[in-house]
Amino acid sequence: MTELSLRLAVSLAQIAAVMGIVMLTVMILTLAERKVLGWMQDRMGPMEVGPYGILQPIADGLKLFFKEDIVPAGANKFMFSLAPILAMVPAMIGFAVIPFGPNETIQLFGMTIKPFVISDINIGVLYILAFASIGAYGIILGGWASNSKYSLLGGLRSAAQIISYELNVGLAIVGVLIMSGSLSLVKITDAQAGGFWHWYVFAFPAPQIFAFVVYVISAVAETNRVPFDLPEAESELVAGFFTEYSGMRFAFFFIAEYANMVLVSCVAAALFLGGWNAPYPGTILAHIGLESFAWIEGVAWFTVKVYGFLFLFFWLRATLPRLRYDQLMKFGWKVMLPIALANIVVTAIAMYIYNQFK
Amino acid sequence: MAQATTRERFIDWLKTMTFYELLVGMKATMSHLIHYKPITLQYPHEKRTLPDNYRGMLALLRYDDGTEKCVGCDLCEAACPSRVIRVVSAEIPGEPTKRYSKEYYMDMTRCLFCGMCVDACPVDALGMTKEFEWAVYDKRDLQLNKQQLLAIGDRSFPVREKRLELQHPNVAFFNVAFQHVPQKPN
Repeated sequence: MTELSLRLAVSLAQIAAVMGIVMLTVMILTLAERKVLGWMQDRMGPMEVGPYGILQPIADGLKLFFKEDIVPAGANKFMFSLAPILAMVPAMIGFAVIPFGPNETIQLFGMTIKPFVISDINIGVLYILAFASIGAYGIILGGWASNSKYSLLGGLRSAAQIISYELNVGLAIVGVLIMSGSLSLVKITDAQAGGFWHWYVFAFPAPQIFAFVVYVISAVAETNRVPFDLPEAESELVAGFFTEYSGMRFAFFFIAEYANMVLVSCVAAALFLGGWNAPYPGTILAHIGLESFAWIEGVAWFTVKVYGFLFLFFWLRATLPRLRYDQLMKFGWKVMLPIALANIVVTAIAMYIYNQFK
Repeated sequence: MAQATTRERFIDWLKTMTFYELLVGMKATMSHLIHYKPITLQYPHEKRTLPDNYRGMLALLRYDDGTEKCVGCDLCEAACPSRVIRVVSAEIPGEPTKRYSKEYYMDMTRCLFCGMCVDACPVDALGMTKEFEWAVYDKRDLQLNKQQLLAIGDRSFPVREKRLELQHPNVAFFNVAFQHVPQKPN
């Protein structure tokens, strides 16, 4: 019994650490987005709270915390309260299977613990996809339960968009799954060790470069970011599905959006860019004899890759205008989907031939 | 328009496939990020230097001896397009040719800072200061009376104009009431 409770304590500690890091990243992102966007538009971004505005996320959080929580008249109260939770929990829960660092085990209190992944389940990718789909319910329900036309339109658009683009995300990943032969993110990452030419974007025999592009575009669409931010198009729909939300419920949607960004960035890094593997064989710290600190390098590379993706999100937002709705659908179904399907066929054939002559 | 050749169409197709136009746009934003030169002025902390002819808050002025310039002629009231100014003119006791503004009101909620009153004033009694931070919580705080307008003029124009007597023969008549001007011999 003591072992079970110990295991529980260790797991909870891991979950708390990952949640803390994710929330911290979300806080940094809210500031970083405004800063980067400002810099790209010859502005300064937030400058008032703290030196160079670095305490702005704390001020924002405090403000949202003390705001009145308004439920509009005629809203479905249960659904209205449920929607933010439904949006946020799946965004957070996906991080359970992301490997943040080397697949090492440490012995603690007579137990074997993997310090850099909460749970290495063998259907990790499926798990993330499944929970990402549940996240769409939060948005749709939030739009419907608000009893507002803008919210409803935002929710409807979101429903159509997420269904269209989730399909592409799933199909883009299939190529990687064929090559690695596993659904576990830990195994997929391990299979990409040993230099950037082993990453699945470039890997022989079937480079997943097209799948990667499809994944990135679809991920932007799936997280409702510019240029695919139709569900919350502020120039058309006020704020889309969270028009009627205020206070902490709004904050939940906000956190969910940013957590989703981090999640898709993590998945992209893990599946296509080798996760925590450095772009050269092995690690520098291991070469110079600091074998036990090699994990720092792995975690650092993972962080660099994830933040690179997040920067790409900001960069796209600063550059591109919003797509029209029919363009969005046409692009998703008539361009992205065939490319993803063709990629699966090509990858499957290449892997079959490769395995015959290996 | 001529039909696009196969080569041109191939180049267009290639541009579409490689996201060429997107990359051009992204290069533009990135170059702004790298050559970061904000045009923002952190307003409450740093302020622009205003030009000398800035049309800010209106003020009534005084001569260097502390007397008011205003002669109560009502020309500013007539010139004002939005009827901001109200002048109550009166005679200076004992000086029948001289007048002054007994009361002078400005409703700054209506003022559009066109400067026509300043142009209209024959004695340069009105001036436009560089003050512009006149946001108030109560609208009535913007109904200014003569004392307030003079106070604005005092703090904005510390260097005052010297009082000049009217020397030209055509207007020297107006000086007759001044005590220090020698009386005409009978």
